[in-house]
Amino acid sequence: MNQMTNTQITKEEVLAIYPKVSEIIAAALPCEVERVKLDASLIDDLGAQSIDFLDIVFRLERAFKVKIPRGKIVTDARGDLSEADFEQKGVVTDAGLARLKVFLNEVPAERFPSPLKVADIPRLFTTETFCKMVIRQQRSGTSTPAPAAA
Amino acid sequence: MKPRRRIAITGVGMVTPVGNDAPTTWSNLKAGRTGVGPISTFDANGFVTRIGAEVKNFSVEAAITDRNLLKFASRPTRFALAAAEEALTDAGIRPKPATARRWGLSVGAGMIGIDFAELEAVQTFCAADGEFNPDGLLDERYPADPVAFCRSQTNAGLGLLTHHFGIHGFATAVHTACASGGQALGTALKVLRRGHADFMLAGGYDSMLNPIGISGFCLLGALSTDNDSPERASRPFDATRNGFVLGEGAGFLVLEEWESAQARGAKIYAELAGDGNSLSSYRITDSHPSGDGPIQAMQQAMADAGLLPVDVDYVNAHGTSTLMNDRSECAALRAVMGSHIDRLAVSSTKSCMGHLIAAAGAVEAGVCALAIRDSIAPINANLVKPDPDCNVNIVQGQSRPLRIRSALSNSLGFGGSNSCLAFRHPEEIDLNAQPRITR
Repeated sequence: MNQMTNTQITKEEVLAIYPKVSEIIAAALPCEVERVKLDASLIDDLGAQSIDFLDIVFRLERAFKVKIPRGKIVTDARGDLSEADFEQKGVVTDAGLARLKVFLNEVPAERFPSPLKVADIPRLFTTETFCKMVIRQQRSGTSTPAPAAA
Repeated sequence: MKPRRRIAITGVGMVTPVGNDAPTTWSNLKAGRTGVGPISTFDANGFVTRIGAEVKNFSVEAAITDRNLLKFASRPTRFALAAAEEALTDAGIRPKPATARRWGLSVGAGMIGIDFAELEAVQTFCAADGEFNPDGLLDERYPADPVAFCRSQTNAGLGLLTHHFGIHGFATAVHTACASGGQALGTALKVLRRGHADFMLAGGYDSMLNPIGISGFCLLGALSTDNDSPERASRPFDATRNGFVLGEGAGFLVLEEWESAQARGAKIYAELAGDGNSLSSYRITDSHPSGDGPIQAMQQAMADAGLLPVDVDYVNAHGTSTLMNDRSECAALRAVMGSHIDRLAVSSTKSCMGHLIAAAGAVEAGVCALAIRDSIAPINANLVKPDPDCNVNIVQGQSRPLRIRSALSNSLGFGGSNSCLAFRHPEEIDLNAQPRITR
């Protein structure tokens, strides 16, 4: 289901909101907007920390009038896989890795380390990852209340 | 028994209302130039006091280029980062991965960490009609900002300083109001003497120049209301004084063990020789008329440094310019110094830069270090008609050339916290503190 949602996001849709998303990310980190390339890893290329992700999500919610539950990317990527099938002792399973590679299809395959620790998943996130998250939330409606931070 | 470690001041950094670095600040203090003016950072119309000692034309980016770090830095923390950077550069030594665990940090931090804009948002969304309604925090328009929350923690500055400068050793934040800066340096001295660190970055930073800070001190009647003559408003020990001037800023020192400082060829401003720390246990906002509290702090600092009254040539007074502080402090000075009080020079540099609250003790410690280095007792500006009840030898008219063998700096806080630091000229030898016992 998630994978289907994912594949429905076109490059045109991503590029339509990319200018605004990149501005928001640049303002949050902060850094020059030119550095916020579509395929830039926010952690490895732009030096983001976990608190910056929270900050970015708050700003995206406000700018796009959507609710983005915390931890949304990983739970969406996991889809109907149980937590135990997705990860074992903090390491993403082969099945989990396969799911992630489809869900985060904007991330070049060589950036997925093996084994991949759950804690390192956010290092994969690029500007496009956030664009896609906003698009998914726009489609699912804006009334979803945000649960507590995870 | 090993002799007690002797501690050198090898770096000084300041951001103050009279200069955005230590040399500018010191030059203006010596000349008696004031940094007090109309409040410009917010609309102070409507307040009884509309003047303050603001830091002017300050840009932290000249000293700190890490923009992500600065996102988490409030105004006073930015002062701290700039002053600490100046102190480390001045000392010519800074933490490296190999020495990080032997570096410590001790800071005096401000009383109010939360930005006024955030408080205002809570009021707008949660208490628009007077009654507090916490559901307003969930209002879609409420500017929820997790970064603002991080920025407003009272220990935020401590975290940013250790992170930015790579300090991995002992670290602590002191919150004793106006005594914070002095007590942070006293804590650093003790940590170094005990051998828990070999280098300490120590200081204080604060800014209460916001509507909450101004209104609070106005309510207490503690601030000068001389809105029409701001440059004369802070006049410690003058018979016409009518309150203090709220200031803002930061001061940092680099402290290190004496022999290793000499071995690396560091310039040594002065020895940080003694620390006195007491609580008046009297009243929340009053000082004891007899000077009880400050007396014990000064006596402790002198005993710690091995000083007798006759050894002291200069006292940088707390000297806030309130009726009560200045009288009580002079009573304490007379009680501690006896007949020598008439021969030692006293001045309050708050006459030029206002009261920097949690930063005051740290900046004034830096002033003492520079006064010793240059053999100058800085002027107590704006003193025209000395209060007969402040009968001490105040540096009036102009700064006084004076070889200072040793100096004291007082910082007397709200709630009764008292700090006194003792400084010694680097060429003076401690004769009275034997035997020295240490681990």
